[in-house]
Amino acid sequence: MARELKFESPSFGKRLKSMLGVDFYRLFHTPMYYIFLAIAAIIPAMILGTMGMENPQTGAAAAPLYTNVWQIIAADKPLYVVSGIAEYANMNMVFIFGGIMVSIFIGHDYKSGYVKQLFTTHAKKQDYMMSKTISCAFAMACMCVTYLLGAVAAGLLTGISFQVNVTSLLFALLGKMVMSLGWASLYTFLNVIFRKYFGVSIASSFFFGTGILIIGAAAILGNNSLLNIFLYGSSVFACLSATPLTLVVCLVCSVAWALIYNIAGTKILSKSDVY
Amino acid sequence: MNAIEIRNLSKSFRGLYALDGLNMTVPVGAIYGFIGENGSGKSTTEKLICGHLVPDQGQITLFGRDYTDPGVRVRVGALIENAGCFPGSSVYQNLRMQAINLNLENPDAEIQRVLKIVRMEEHAALKFKKCSLGMKQRIGIAMALLGDPALLILDEPINGLDTDGMRIMREILVDITQNYNCTVLISSHLLGELEKIATHYGIIRQGKMMMELTAAELEGRARVFVSLKTRDMSGAKAVLKKTFQNVRTEGEYLRVYDVEDTESIVDALMKQGHPVSEIQKNKIGLEEYYIELMSAKEAE
Repeated sequence: MARELKFESPSFGKRLKSMLGVDFYRLFHTPMYYIFLAIAAIIPAMILGTMGMENPQTGAAAAPLYTNVWQIIAADKPLYVVSGIAEYANMNMVFIFGGIMVSIFIGHDYKSGYVKQLFTTHAKKQDYMMSKTISCAFAMACMCVTYLLGAVAAGLLTGISFQVNVTSLLFALLGKMVMSLGWASLYTFLNVIFRKYFGVSIASSFFFGTGILIIGAAAILGNNSLLNIFLYGSSVFACLSATPLTLVVCLVCSVAWALIYNIAGTKILSKSDVY
Repeated sequence: MNAIEIRNLSKSFRGLYALDGLNMTVPVGAIYGFIGENGSGKSTTEKLICGHLVPDQGQITLFGRDYTDPGVRVRVGALIENAGCFPGSSVYQNLRMQAINLNLENPDAEIQRVLKIVRMEEHAALKFKKCSLGMKQRIGIAMALLGDPALLILDEPINGLDTDGMRIMREILVDITQNYNCTVLISSHLLGELEKIATHYGIIRQGKMMMELTAAELEGRARVFVSLKTRDMSGAKAVLKKTFQNVRTEGEYLRVYDVEDTESIVDALMKQGHPVSEIQKNKIGLEEYYIELMSAKEAE
């Protein structure tokens, strides 16, 4: 019995939905996602847990890096110029590990050859970029949550102060979570560029994730709010003195960069061979 | 309407042309055997049809639509180089992802259907990396079969399969073309296997289509020959060479080409004291036809 040949074009919404479905299914069914969630929780716990340890030779306790548990979430004020590890080591570290996770996530698409299955069927390059950005942003936002839980748990165990302006903390947390979208788009873009070189894509994600370029720029410009136009700048801006404006800045910066990187990534993918 | 129509397709890699103005026509419902030497441009053509590569120039239409149209792409399945599965995920999970990608209404039933076709129902829970090569090829076919494809593109799907695996693969391909109205484009170096299923052939050489023909046309063009055995093969060969133009030794047999009359051969040999112990009329197969074609081109 020969069947009739019918061809119905799926709409953009339908295509994106199916692509997102694949990415979320994969995310939830692979151990990598859970490993990175655990890593995000362990980092603040490790830093806070080891903070008050005694020097085995002198017997003296090391000077505490943080006086308040929320300082491991965000700095008290936007500090683009970093003078010590305590000013640097906060929830922004999630974006470094998130970058590695995105590299592995996208790298496996190419390594396994699955990307061929995607592009053989109806998936367009633009759908691919958007879907990876959204699913990886979700994964990084979840890492922010587990980071928060890890910090709180370690804070409870170490007995460090929990005093905070709750509203500012909420805006800081939301700001950092919103920034996940921008960071995910940057990493997706980098991984599309270096899709043939897995190691390079991981290294580039790590390099940009550290915010080293903005820290370098800040060394020249000082604590200049102009740096908020960059992903790392806005991520730093989401600090413990955050206001509704902070959230707006984070949102605008994150969405703007997501659009820029998605458009650029789509153009690159469309004009070059898949692999 | 043709399933695939390619006009003047070119693709180069760093200035070297892999395809150079290729034309190709694959009718709906055909099993199109795509033949060529290594590096002749078979895989490049298949990757271009699948949208994995960007052409330098030329036109590809699938079922009368531009090949980038999502409406037609959603009904293309492919197995190119490997199955494209995540090694750490199970067979089921890999198929499930493709079912989600294709937006299938009843993914579980569809997965069961394709697993049954490729005879892998028992192995759905197995991790892809634990599967044998033959199983991986069949899973690749299953991936390609999901969602009722109108066109299947298979690059060397029978490579590395054992005899039984090849038979299963053959049966699957014949089944899907006859029962599911599916067109199959298949490239393989195993021409003997291809000959058993292909309805059409395309022979590609140096990035250009050398010849397209149907299985019936191939049958018509294939040279006839008589193969025979005698005790003194070299003596018999010398005798036959006096009367017949094309006499060759092939293994244990002597072959006299372009002759159908066995009696005249037997008579000629008997007169010279070479009794014939075995004699049979034959036609050359796809493999020999292809080798002769290529040799003729080389000689040009």
